[in-house]
Amino acid sequence: MRRVAVIGVGVTKFGKHDRTSAELFAEAAGDAIRDADVAPSAIQALYYGNVTGGEGEKQLHMGPLAATLLGIPTIPTTRFENACATSHAAFRHAVMEIGAGVSDIVMVGGAERVLNIPTDAATEYFAYCSDASWEQSVGLTFPGVFALIARAHMDKHGTTEEQMAHVAVKNHRHGVLNPKAQFRKEITVDMVLKSAYVADPLKLLDCCPFTDGGAAVVLAAEEVARKRPRSVWVLGTQAASDTMFMHEKRDLSRVMATERAAAAVYRQAGKTPADVDVVELHDCFTIAEIVATEGLGFFEPGLGGVAAEKGWTSLGGKIPVNPSGGLKAKGHPIGATGAGQIAEITTQLRGEAGPRQVEGARTGLTHTLGGNTATVLVSLFGRG
Amino acid sequence: MADHVLTLKHFFEEARAGRLTGIRCGKCGELAIPPKEFCPTCQERNWAPVPLGGAGSITSFTVIRVAPRGRGAEAPYAVAVVRLDEGVSLLGRIVDIPFDSLRADLPVRFRPIVTGEQTAIGFGPA
Repeated sequence: MRRVAVIGVGVTKFGKHDRTSAELFAEAAGDAIRDADVAPSAIQALYYGNVTGGEGEKQLHMGPLAATLLGIPTIPTTRFENACATSHAAFRHAVMEIGAGVSDIVMVGGAERVLNIPTDAATEYFAYCSDASWEQSVGLTFPGVFALIARAHMDKHGTTEEQMAHVAVKNHRHGVLNPKAQFRKEITVDMVLKSAYVADPLKLLDCCPFTDGGAAVVLAAEEVARKRPRSVWVLGTQAASDTMFMHEKRDLSRVMATERAAAAVYRQAGKTPADVDVVELHDCFTIAEIVATEGLGFFEPGLGGVAAEKGWTSLGGKIPVNPSGGLKAKGHPIGATGAGQIAEITTQLRGEAGPRQVEGARTGLTHTLGGNTATVLVSLFGRG
Repeated sequence: MADHVLTLKHFFEEARAGRLTGIRCGKCGELAIPPKEFCPTCQERNWAPVPLGGAGSITSFTVIRVAPRGRGAEAPYAVAVVRLDEGVSLLGRIVDIPFDSLRADLPVRFRPIVTGEQTAIGFGPA
């Protein structure tokens, strides 16, 4: 397989927009093309991620729509849907297209728009990413999925609601430093603990928001990328799945797909968790960040909550996690989230992250989880 | 063409009548919740239905206070993963158990939740 690099990134402001998801993607993709310093006509394929367009915008067939709005309507396009891991899954396939020699320059990204519909409708559409027969039928929501995980983690390891709150406080503190973030205000542990329960033991401020936004990256083969000094190399990208059913999860305190994908990507890249300088991971709920930091090998099982409490995952800590503010503060436009994480790690490894820069970062990791923990993608990136 | 011993439709028709049914692998003995084509343990395609007693205990639970569209009037409601005595688990709505007495290992018993044409899994006091 040929080496592949990220040569351009673009992200919209995350938050509420009065534009369609395809428009949001086009803005991000336009910025990514400018950042890559390539002609739009140099893009040979589009791998596009969107989840709820059919329900929220009455819009399917989004790949060619996105390419049309971008102004390159004749390239081959494919739309991906892997719940919240959608555009990270699209990224893996784009890397394979270049690696296999089919194309030299490929656009990958995604967008989501949900703030145009009522919250209970968005909650319903997101729940479509859990199983219809077994989970939607009893009213399980996504906060509910992660509440089941949180309870299991608390029972097994003694993790506390206060430790979970520290994840939200840290990610909000980081979000203040990110001009693209949906929330740019600090919160306190007390505010998290006093916010209303959504699905016990998770409270409102343990949950990421609904978000509109788009994100895109331009990928290129080694022959193109090595001429560009700001190129960030894909050291590995892996996907793993787990049973779709909450009732079949082997251990609710773990996310097995994270552990499988992480083991595979470290092996592919010849790296270990100790080599990673900066991480963007899937903190859809505070407990998700705690479980992910354990599953990715940064902390022993049961120490993820301790790590959050002690500040080991803060900017300036042992292993900075979610310097962008994460899904919690930056926002979670689900179809765009994976591409947004890759854009942040690229920015970090280029040394262009401004006040949220992790000094000297040379190796970065992205982790995106889909739905009821049935899909996970993990990728590693490096300079030179 | 495999002999589909149990479809989702059949499972929920039985559940509606108060009976839970699992499937057991004829080769390795793995017990699973249907439907499933190949045995995830031994890869055999040889299932037979087995009745499940409906008794089990809570593995994890939550009280959902923000419900999806159409379920607002039901909230708050509790949902739990329940490990049945036979060793397989099911997710179900908790009925007739106060929220503050829910805990891991609490014994519960299967009870179908019937709403019009729909049947869902529920668990009440043991």
